[in-house]
Formats: sequence, structure tokens, C-alpha cells
Amino acid sequence: MKLNTRINGRDLCLEIKPNATLLETLRQAGFKSVKFGCGEGMCGACAVLVDGKPRTSCITLAGTVEGSEILTVEGMGNPDQPHALQQAFVDAGATQCGYCNPGSLIAAKALLDSNPNPTAEDVKDALDGNLCRCSGYVKRIEAVLSAADSTASTTGQKKSTRGKK
Amino acid sequence: MLKKLTRFYHPKTIEEACQFLGNGEGRTAVIAGGTSAALRADSSLEALVDISHISELNYINKDAAFYRIGACTRVQDIYKSPDLKGPAGKLLQAAAGKIGSTLLRNAITAGGNLAGLFPWSDLPVAYMALDAEVVCRRGRPKRTVPVMSLIETRAPQFLAANEIIAEIIVPAYGPGTGTAFAKLAKTANDYALISLAVRLTLKDGAVNQARIAVNAITAQPVRCLDAEKLLEGKVLTEELTAEAANKAADSLNIRKDIRAGEEYRREVFVVMVRRALNEAFENANRKGGQQ
Ligand SMILES: Cc1cc2nc3c(=O)[nH]c(=O)nc-3n(C[C@H](O)[C@H](O)[C@H](O)COP(=O)(O)OP(=O)(O)OC[C@H]3O[C@@H](n4cnc5c(N)ncnc54)[C@H](O)[C@@H]3O)c2cc1C
Ligand code: FES
Ligand code: FES
Repeated sequence: MKLNTRINGRDLCLEIKPNATLLETLRQAGFKSVKFGCGEGMCGACAVLVDGKPRTSCITLAGTVEGSEILTVEGMGNPDQPHALQQAFVDAGATQCGYCNPGSLIAAKALLDSNPNPTAEDVKDALDGNLCRCSGYVKRIEAVLSAADSTASTTGQKKSTRGKK
Repeated sequence: MLKKLTRFYHPKTIEEACQFLGNGEGRTAVIAGGTSAALRADSSLEALVDISHISELNYINKDAAFYRIGACTRVQDIYKSPDLKGPAGKLLQAAAGKIGSTLLRNAITAGGNLAGLFPWSDLPVAYMALDAEVVCRRGRPKRTVPVMSLIETRAPQFLAANEIIAEIIVPAYGPGTGTAFAKLAKTANDYALISLAVRLTLKDGAVNQARIAVNAITAQPVRCLDAEKLLEGKVLTEELTAEAANKAADSLNIRKDIRAGEEYRREVFVVMVRRALNEAFENANRKGGQQ
């Protein structure tokens, strides 16, 4: 079966099995940032944006995103040019093993896209589907808030001091 | 999972969707949010009709007396909607906001949460407490039925092969009505042990209509009719809410599973009903109505 989507800004036509999940499909197409955690929609490691909304790709059938736009972390930034959120996660120490990070970053991006000035409560609410077993749930809130600050400032990529000790 | 699946259909209108469902080409089912594990485990299905991109199924509208919610409206949009207000709007938002997580709420739909009924489904109790009605479409022909008949018969049996849930109609209510939603779960994301929706509509200070709808503590959503009857026509007092809460618990066939036993659920349930009744009563008495 053919699947037509736009992934990280590029139109792609992929050959898939009708019962393939979006997670399998993305990983097979090389988007390895998308992680398999629970496979049941419970952990958020597999989160990607589907038409701007963060969803669990492990329980999304690929056939249901025909014609949709997908964004994975590869489309947010890279080590040379990290997205403000990626830099903020590093600066705040909101990463240890890093397995949860792609999913949390995707959920955080969706939040900032719709609400550039979130409160800590907004961040908690937006990341409520992303479990983390290592670095915990405090530093990533700091990270998202400081990324919001830094993107709000005119220089765009200027580092914020807010998340720092 | 879905071992026999060979194709997806992507209709743009309700009529098209019903045609695909009714064309008799092997086992075909509707897919909306696609989160139902039961749907994804079905190895008899050959085709899926994806109705999630049909724009005429995705809206929240309000007229003078009713909210109308398209069946494919994501529950996250219900949770975040600035248009849902008052006793009915707030109850729908409270229930929708307690479903799973952001990542799941962006997929789960208002109609799918009702059609793919599980013990932990949260919106159906809110629909029941609000006396909602459901519009079912078979192409152009439609019928409007009380939500309870769909729940009691269960959607797969209730709906014809080429019929879908298209809209949920919820009376808006106003000042004099108060609602409350409560859910007990082991963690914020875990399946509910108890899901509870209450509505009290007052007249001259006394309870005119009482609705106590529960799920998760039972195998499927039910109303606590004895407790509702006890409350109707009376002025709410502490003794009365306590008696109603006990009666509500007595009327249930309480489920137990690995998460919690029957005794624990019962004990918490009585407290939850009592508090929800008080909260709904307070909301009903609010000046200018529940906001
Ligand atoms: C990890 C996890 C946690 C969850 N937690 C909760 C929770 O706390 N509370 C809660 O309420 N739910 C929860 N859910 C969701 C619930 O279990 C169901 O998956 C969900 O309600 C199904 O809705 P959907 O829109 O995804 O429907 P789908 O999965 O697309 O469909 C479900 C069924 O309904 C049918 N159907 C769908 N839409 C229609 C329609 N318009 N007309 C006719 N038939 C239709 C389908 O054919 C299918 O049989 C959770 C799900 C997961 C995976
Ligand atoms: S792998 Fe998708 S939610 Fe856990
Ligand atoms: S950093 Fe390891 S799971 Fe979050």
C-alpha cells in the first residue's frame, strides 16, 4: 500500500503494509528519533506531530495519516543548529539517558507553537503523556520555560539564564 | 494485529463514508481516533474507513439551548474549547481533560469514546448525566436517539452496517443546574477505577432532576436510579447526600481487578458521590450560574 505524507517538510511516498503503525513506518524510513517504549500509548517516547498535534505514533496506524504533515525531532534541529527547546533541555539537565527526550521535545514544541508564553502548569499539562525514568519532571519544566523566554527575546537563539542555578 | 487488513478509505463526506461501509466488500469498520486496542487487534477486518478527516464531523457548535459536538471532534479540543461553558460545558471539559494524556486526547474522538465503549471510558458518563442525544447517520437518513439506548445496546449492535455516529447533542442547561465530575485512578494517566458524573437541576431550592452516572467501578456505564429518585423533590442536606451516596453504591455491581478490590472501590465511591453532589449543588446555587 502507498502512503503519501509530508515528513519534516519533505513530501514522501512510502510503501507500507496496511497494518503498519506510524512508529514502524517512520523508523523504517530512517527517522530513528522516534522511539519505541511501551507500544501501547502510555509512555510518549514515540510522540510525533501529526498536522501540528502531538500524538503517540505507536498506536497510530500509518494509513490514517495519508495526506498529513508529520514532524519528528529530526525536523526540529540538529547538533549544529539545535532548536531552542533542544538547547534548553541540555542546559537545564533535562536529559540523562535521553530516551524520552524526542517525545517530550515534540510535546513541548506543540505547546510553544500554540502558546508561546506558558506557565509551569501549562507545561505540566502539555507533557502529561511523556514519562521519564531518569531526569525527572522538574528540569524539563525549567527547560521549556527557558526556551519560551529565549524564543521570545529578539535574538531568537539567545540563551536564557532563567533555568540556571 | 489487523492481519487481514488490505486497505483504507478516506472519505471526505458522511455520505461517502456510509457508502464505503455499506458496499459489502468484506469486513469493514470505521476508524476515528484509532486508539482502541480492540479495534487494532481485530484480525477479521479487511478494510478501514477513516472518518477522522471529515470536516463535517469535526466541530463544537452552540445554539440557544444545545451544544452540538461532531463525532470526530478530538477530546483535546473539547478539553480546551473556549466555547464550552456553563454546567454542561464544564462537565464535558472536566471529563475530556481526564482522559489519558495530551498525546492520546489529540487522537481520541467524542464519538469513538462512546462507540468503542470500555469500563474506563470517561465521556459517556458525562453524556448520560446531561441527558445527551446522539445523531446517527446512514448516508443522508438520520435518527436521533437518547445516548442511553446506544450505551445499553452497545454501538456495534445498535448501529446498522452503514451507519455512523455523527453528532452528540447536549442540552446546555443554565443557572439552577450544577454539575461535577470526579475520577479515581492510580496515576493521572492510568485507567479509571471510578469515573463519576453528577448533575443536579434545582427548582425552588429543591432538586428537580438528579443524575448520577458512573463507569469503571462497573463493567459498563450505568445510572444510579435509586439514588437519583431519592434526591428528586427534596432539599439537599448532609444526611440526604450521605443516604443517596450509600444507595448509589448499593445499586452497583462493583467490578474488581488487579488495580483495586471491591471493598476499596465501594468505600471511596461513597465519599466521591457525596462530595460530587455537594459540589454540583453549590454550582447550581451560584449567582449567575456555573461558569
Ligand atoms: C493508553 C490509553 C489510555 C486511555 N485512557 C483513557 C481514559 O482514561 N479515559 C477514556 O475515556 N479513554 C481512554 N482511552 C481511550 C479508549 O480506551 C478508546 O481507545 C477510545 O475512546 C476510542 O476512541 P477513538 O476515537 O480512538 O476511536 P477508534 O479507536 O477509532 O474506534 C473505537 C471503536 O468505535 C468505532 N467508532 C469510532 N467512531 C465511530 C463513529 N463516529 N460511529 C460509529 N462507530 C465509531 C470504531 O469502529 C471502533 O470499533 C485510552 C486509550 C489508551 C490507548
Ligand atoms: S511507545 Fe508509544 S506511547 Fe509508549
Ligand atoms: S532521560 Fe531517561 S527517560 Fe527521560
